Amino acid sequence: MRTRLFDKTWTAYAVVVSSVIVLTIFLKLVGQHVNSTTVGLVFLLDVLCIATRWGSLPALVTSFIAVLCFNYFFLPPFGTFNISSADNWVALGAFLITALIAGQLSARAKKRAEEAEAGKTQIEKLYSQLRDAFERASQSEALRQSEKLKSALLDAVTHDLRTPLTSIKASITTLLDDQRGEPDGQQTFTIDADSKLEMMEVIDQETDRLTRFISGLIELARIEAGQLQLRRRWGAVEEIVSNALSRAEPITRDHRIELGIEKDLPVVRVDERAVSEVVYTLIDNAAKYSPAGSRIIIGAKQSQHDQIRMEVENEGTTIPPALRERVFDRFFRATRDGDISTHQPSGTGMGLAIAKGIVEAHGGKIWIESGSEGTGTKVAFTLPIGDEEPSEMLSSPDESEREL
Amino acid sequence: MNDKPRVLVVDDESQLTRVLRTGLSAHGYEVRTATDGVEGLRQANDWRPDLIITDLAMPNMDGLELCRKIRSVSQVPIIVLSAKGEEKIKVEALDLGADDFITKPFGIDELLARVRAALRRSSVQSANETDQARFEAGDFQVDLENHSVKVSGKEIRLTPKEFDLLVYFTKHPGKVLTHRTLLAAVWGGNYVEQNEYLRVFVGNLRKKIERDPATPKYILTEPWIGYRFDPDGQPN
Repeated sequence: MRTRLFDKTWTAYAVVVSSVIVLTIFLKLVGQHVNSTTVGLVFLLDVLCIATRWGSLPALVTSFIAVLCFNYFFLPPFGTFNISSADNWVALGAFLITALIAGQLSARAKKRAEEAEAGKTQIEKLYSQLRDAFERASQSEALRQSEKLKSALLDAVTHDLRTPLTSIKASITTLLDDQRGEPDGQQTFTIDADSKLEMMEVIDQETDRLTRFISGLIELARIEAGQLQLRRRWGAVEEIVSNALSRAEPITRDHRIELGIEKDLPVVRVDERAVSEVVYTLIDNAAKYSPAGSRIIIGAKQSQHDQIRMEVENEGTTIPPALRERVFDRFFRATRDGDISTHQPSGTGMGLAIAKGIVEAHGGKIWIESGSEGTGTKVAFTLPIGDEEPSEMLSSPDESEREL
Repeated sequence: MNDKPRVLVVDDESQLTRVLRTGLSAHGYEVRTATDGVEGLRQANDWRPDLIITDLAMPNMDGLELCRKIRSVSQVPIIVLSAKGEEKIKVEALDLGADDFITKPFGIDELLARVRAALRRSSVQSANETDQARFEAGDFQVDLENHSVKVSGKEIRLTPKEFDLLVYFTKHPGKVLTHRTLLAAVWGGNYVEQNEYLRVFVGNLRKKIERDPATPKYILTEPWIGYRFDPDGQPN
C-alpha cells in the first residue's frame, strides 16, 4: 500500500516535469510563430490538466516549472532568467498567479467531487444494510407468528383426534373385559345386551367421526395448498340445492325448511358437487345451532348481473359481529371457542373453512349476517355466473387431469 | 338403602360420558353424569358422590374451577381426565387438590384401578384424619410423639425434615403429590419453586426406606409432576 502510494506520487511528478519539457520543445519547434500569450495559455492548460488528475501539490510544482521555462525559453533575452521589458514581468507575474489559483481551484473541485461520490456510496451502503436488517427482522417475526399458529392448530387437531379415540378405547376395553371376565376373578360382572349395543354404537359413531375429521383435514390441506381443482360445468342452482337438501334430510327432520329460489335463474358454471357441499355445510350448521321446530330458510337469487347470491338462515343464536370473521377459521367452534353456549354436538370445526375455500376458488365471497328479523344467523355467499373465460380454459385444458 | 359407591362423571363429550356410565355401572358403581362444571358442581352438592371424575377443558366452568370450588367445601376424591400435552393444566389441577389423573385415551381397567385406589385412600384418610399420635399405613408405623418410624417393624433414623416429608407421604397414600404441594407442606410457602431441595430429600429418604433405592417401591416418581407414595410397596 505504502509503496504504491509512493509510486503514484513519483509518477505524478515525472508526468509534471516531462509534460512541461514536451510542451517547451513543441513550442520551440513551432518556433517564432507563437507569441508569449499563446505560450502562457498552453502552460496554463497543462497546469489545469495536472490539477484535475493529481491534485493541488503537483499543480503547484507544474506552475513553478512552467514559470521557469516560460522565462528561460520564451521571454527575451532568451536563454537567461533575465527579463528585459517591464511588460514581460507583468505577463509572467499574471501567468504565475493565474496558474496557481486555477490549479488550486480545480484541484479543490476534484476533491469535492470525490468526497461527494464517497458520501453517496456510504449512504447507499448504509441504506442497503438497514433494509437487510429490516427484512430479516420481519421475516423472523412472520416465522414466529406462523410457528405459534402451527402449534395452536396442532393442539386443535390432536384434541379432535383424541376425543373420539378416548370413547372408542373406553368402549372397547369395557367390551373386552366382559368377554374375558374379570382378571383377578374377585368380582363377576356382566354388561347387559342393551349396554353392549350402546358401546358398539359409540364405537361405530366415533369411528365415523374420526373418518369425517380426517377427510376434512385432507380437503382443507388441499385447499390451502391451492390444489382444489374445480370441475366446472353449466348447471342449475335448483339442482344443487335439492341435492344438498336430500343429503341433509336426516339432520333436518326436526326443522322446517323454507325454500326461496328466484324464478328463471340463469344456469351457472360451477363445480356442482363442491357448491352442493357448501350448501350442505350451511344447512348442517343451521340445524346444529338452532332449536328443533324452528325454520331454516334457503334462498337463491341473481345479484348484480353476473352473480348468484345464495343464503341459508336459521332462527338460532345470532353470532356476535366480533366472531363473524373467525367462524371461518380452521377449527373454530362457536360452542367451544366463542361465547355462545349450547349443548349441541359440535362438528369438526372445518366445515366453514372448507366452504370458504370452495367459494373463493370459484371467485365468490362468503360472509355472515344477522337473520332477516334481527335474530338468528344468515350465511350468504356469491358465485360468479361464469362466462367462457379464456384464462380459465387455459389453466385447465385437460378434463381427465381434473379428477381429484 | 343403596351402598354402591357413587361416582360423578363430568365431561362435555356426551359419547364418553355414555361409555363411562355403562362401564362403571357394570362394575358396581352408581353413576351420574354432567356436561359442564356448573352442572357438575350442582350434582356434587346435591347428590354427594363418593368420587368425581372430571375433564379439564369444558365450556362454562372448566375442570380447574370445578376442583377449586369442590375443594373449598369437600375432600371428595377427584380424578382428572387429561391429555398428553396438557401437563401444565394437569399440575395446576393437582395443586388445586385433585387426587389423581388419567391420560386420554385410557382403558376402562386403568380407570377402574384408579377409582378403586382413590376410594380406598379416602376411607383410610378419614381414619387418619383424627390427630392420632401413632398410626399405621401399609408397611409404615409412625409415632409422631417420639419422632420415630418403623418400616416393616424395623426402626429407621431420620432427620427432622425427612421425618416431616415421610409423615406427609404416609398421610396421603396413593395420591399424586406435586412438587409444589410437598414443598409448601414441608418447607413452607417460600420454597415452592425449590424442586432441588425435594429431589435431595426424596433421594435420602429412599436410601433409608427402600430395599433398592434405584427401583423405588414406596416413593414413586411421577415425571414432571411430583411423587406418589405407596405404603404397601407393591411391585408395579
